[in-house]
Amino acid sequence: MRKRISAAAGLAALALTATACAGGGTSTPKTAPAAGSGSGSDAKSGGGTELAVPTGPVTITFEEAMTIGTLKPSMDKLVADFQAKYPNITVKLQGDPDYATMYTKEKAEVQAGNAPTLGQAYESWASYFQSAGKLTPISELAGTDTPPQLATFYKGIQDDTKLPDGKTWMWPFNKSVLILFYNADLLAKDGQSVPKTWDDYAGVMKAVSKDGVTGSTIDPGSATAAAFGTQWFEILAKGNGATLYDKDGAPHLNDPNVVKALQYLKDLKDAGALATGKNYPGETALGAQKGMFDISSAAGYGFENKTVGGKFKLGITALPAGQAGAVNELTGTNIVVFSSATAEQKAAAWAFLKFITSPEEQAQWASTSGYLPVTSQAMTQPAMRDFVAKNPYETAAVSELDTAFALPGFNWIFKCQGYEATAIQEALENGKQPADALSTAQSACAAAKAQG
Amino acid sequence: MSTATRARQATAAPTRPPRRGAARDFRATRWGWAYSAPAVLVFLAFVIIPTGYTFYVSLWKWNALNPALSKFKGLGNYRRLWESTQPAFLSSLWHSLYFTGAMVLGGTALSLALALLLQRGGALLNGTRLAIFLPHATPVIATSMIWTWIFNGKFGLADWILHSLHLPTSQWLQSSSSAMPAVIVYSLWHEVGFTTVVFLGGLATLSHELSEAARVDGCSAWQEFWHITWHQLKPVTVFVVAITAITSLQAFTQFYQLANGGPAYATTTLSYLVYQEAFVFSDTGYGAALAVVLFAVTVFFTLVRRRTAAGESHALV
Amino acid sequence: MSKTPASRGMAGASRAGRWARRALAVLIGAAFVFPFYWTVVISLGHPGEFSNFPPLLVPHWDWSNWSRAWHAAPWPRLFGNTILIASCTVLLCLATSLLAGFAFGVLRFPGRKFLTLLVLAVLMMPGTVLIIPDYVLANDLHLLNTYWIQIIPWGASVFGIFLVRQFFLTMPAEILDAAALDGASRLRFLRSIGVPMVRPALVIVAINVFLGSWNSFLWPVIMTNSNMESSDTVQPIEVGLSTFANAEGTDFPGLAAAVTFTTLPVMVFFLLLQRQFIRGALSAAGGVRG
Repeated sequence: MRKRISAAAGLAALALTATACAGGGTSTPKTAPAAGSGSGSDAKSGGGTELAVPTGPVTITFEEAMTIGTLKPSMDKLVADFQAKYPNITVKLQGDPDYATMYTKEKAEVQAGNAPTLGQAYESWASYFQSAGKLTPISELAGTDTPPQLATFYKGIQDDTKLPDGKTWMWPFNKSVLILFYNADLLAKDGQSVPKTWDDYAGVMKAVSKDGVTGSTIDPGSATAAAFGTQWFEILAKGNGATLYDKDGAPHLNDPNVVKALQYLKDLKDAGALATGKNYPGETALGAQKGMFDISSAAGYGFENKTVGGKFKLGITALPAGQAGAVNELTGTNIVVFSSATAEQKAAAWAFLKFITSPEEQAQWASTSGYLPVTSQAMTQPAMRDFVAKNPYETAAVSELDTAFALPGFNWIFKCQGYEATAIQEALENGKQPADALSTAQSACAAAKAQG
Repeated sequence: MSTATRARQATAAPTRPPRRGAARDFRATRWGWAYSAPAVLVFLAFVIIPTGYTFYVSLWKWNALNPALSKFKGLGNYRRLWESTQPAFLSSLWHSLYFTGAMVLGGTALSLALALLLQRGGALLNGTRLAIFLPHATPVIATSMIWTWIFNGKFGLADWILHSLHLPTSQWLQSSSSAMPAVIVYSLWHEVGFTTVVFLGGLATLSHELSEAARVDGCSAWQEFWHITWHQLKPVTVFVVAITAITSLQAFTQFYQLANGGPAYATTTLSYLVYQEAFVFSDTGYGAALAVVLFAVTVFFTLVRRRTAAGESHALV
Repeated sequence: MSKTPASRGMAGASRAGRWARRALAVLIGAAFVFPFYWTVVISLGHPGEFSNFPPLLVPHWDWSNWSRAWHAAPWPRLFGNTILIASCTVLLCLATSLLAGFAFGVLRFPGRKFLTLLVLAVLMMPGTVLIIPDYVLANDLHLLNTYWIQIIPWGASVFGIFLVRQFFLTMPAEILDAAALDGASRLRFLRSIGVPMVRPALVIVAINVFLGSWNSFLWPVIMTNSNMESSDTVQPIEVGLSTFANAEGTDFPGLAAAVTFTTLPVMVFFLLLQRQFIRGALSAAGGVRG
């Protein structure tokens, strides 16, 4: 066995030299040329100066979950482009099969003093890491809390890079919003048109739910993970004018407008127009021609398309609007820079972050991965123009990035979303009154906030 | 077979030291520590010391990322556990016992029945044995994903079968009342193969003389089973019950894959709750307290079982 | 099995019963296998067909799911890793179980009872809380991303130790006495007399440990890094299986295909080992009877 391992190690070494021949090393040597590291440490001590791109060989690690389907080649392309531009920097991807595993792993790595340079993180994860002093603020990299690139991002994306302390701690990565997929042929056959408001939507859902078809099937989420169903509920509540959470994270889950949102779902369920399931039930129901609509992430287009498999015309449109106007919620994660990285690694990480959010790379990334570009400058790139021509829904989805909200980044908001999901399940499955289910969620969330 | 015969001959309790001096010398040796050392060292490093750490952490509001920021709470986490409502601690304990009870009773009865059915040889029955064992030989991670699909309330195989038989269909994993039974169905499917084979082994070593005598005495098949077969199978049953109880109390993957502890905590067992609090919510101290409680529950049931299995002094665990 | 005169005498009356028994056995066997059959059918259906209702019950022999799934991960490499890890774990487990089972079942030494209870307690601790402390330890020992971290921590089995101990407990004292009079060393005794005696237990331990290793998912995912594609990956096959569902959707037919072709070798393996295993279980159950 020892032989096998050393053989594997040999192979690994070969692979590394092959892919990173220009950059060379596999770790960060202490002998990095002074030019690169010098400017890095200056910025760190002084502040106010942006970290310069290191010139010596540097390796940075990136904990990520872009390991499936079209996401993997898109991710690899980003890295390859970056390494071609900065041959001295090696980006080592540490891929995880899913987000729950990735979070566990990031926590384990931080505890072991073995944190990656970069990691994908939701807002609440970032808050947890930051509260223990394990993150590097963007100001330490860019010399300012509001680097010029930030201003080029969509407004919703900009807000999402901040934690509740008002400082920029994250950099946007795989962002998306929810959109409405539907069976265009079936909708036309039923003589219905695409709903523009949530009231319309309820009417159409009820009208099309017959002959074995259910308006839509949602995943309400669970105590440990929010799902698109949870987010739809939040969007409905916000659309009714509810606040859900204050800036300091104080919950308002039993607000009448939130109760109204849950009542809306319950009415649909009771009318047989809404069903619940697990593992992307809406996508499968739509594909099986047993569901009319599916509310899902714009980045799920590839999966929806494959499930539909050309059996009918897949319609895609922006979400209907609530009484308070069009509301959407951001999905996907940001990137954080862990504080244990060396000065050279931080400098290289900053170069990487700026690189992947440049208009050219964003156009490339968005058109291959399905996630939305974070900057409007990407929309004029040729790759993006082609993509939009083929996928007209993209324009509508992107336009919502300015207004899309994200829940405030506190560690315990994660728990509270679990309480929301439980309230939805209680109301839809167990016949509990929405007001009762939500007041339980409210007190549980308040308790979680008190726990901190 | 021959081992079994030998086993039966060895009726003298071997725990008592043998009388002859030479044998005592052979047995009594401080080298016993050395023989145990490889296993004990592995356990020490990867289970026992981390367990000690878990006990310690359960007394703190532990900041896993930065232990310096931790606050001592004494028994605070245990008190919190008692006061918790979402989900209530007692309901999670109940779900653990519900699942374990169903697995122990259902699994034991089912595998015993299957073993009785399949005890005769023959290609056909051998094929069935293999069929029953196969699920046990496939990873839970893969088969439980398949079963979420089987349990799909709209297109699932399970509903289709009920539908075809004109039986009332179920929401399976989507309803609080049927989610736990659905997880139990999956777990039985996955686990029963192993226990059936163990029972088959037990049946093969039964004394045929006793059965014949019973039949000569005019016992009915049921009486024969109850008084002779079942009685002789007791040690095997004790073993099956012990193994099933412990693995069921600790079962996690199927709850994670099939139901995420839901809907509305209906499948949140203690074992899942430990994962939820310690892993997902990073509430390390509280999760540790839960783990300690689950540990205590398992020890408690093992002790109770050992008490009630008095006379089976060599019962496996 | 042995046909007794009594049962032969009742043969006429029970012929119907025997057929009923066979029919029932076939039915039950089919019920247990059906989920596998259906998985295969789905994997061979057209990509959108898996959600048909009524469900697809006959394969359409569309291999596109298979080719997509085959390219999703370096399966031969992952499979090799799994086999390597599982076999090493089994070997290590057999050694530790044999030694510790011998010590607890045969030898007498101060602290034996304490050690026995300590080992038993290991079985009672929920594994999920141990993963992060174990990760920190593995990091300190520089064992992350190695085969070792997937082997050594699982290289001792409470179940195995107690099963072997059980066999030794039921061993006739005369054998020990004879060995002692011969002046055999304990290790030699263990090798030449002990191993053949507890072989059935070892078979069961081997299979159980193999399946446990084959089944592990969370542990390797946490303890090993790297994208599976990199040529030095030490990750096992389950990690590959987990990549068919992510945050944006799930590729069910692809998963079905991957489950099929990764499970197939194990099925064949058990088909071949079936007789061994059942025989092992038979004798082991005899040992348990104590």
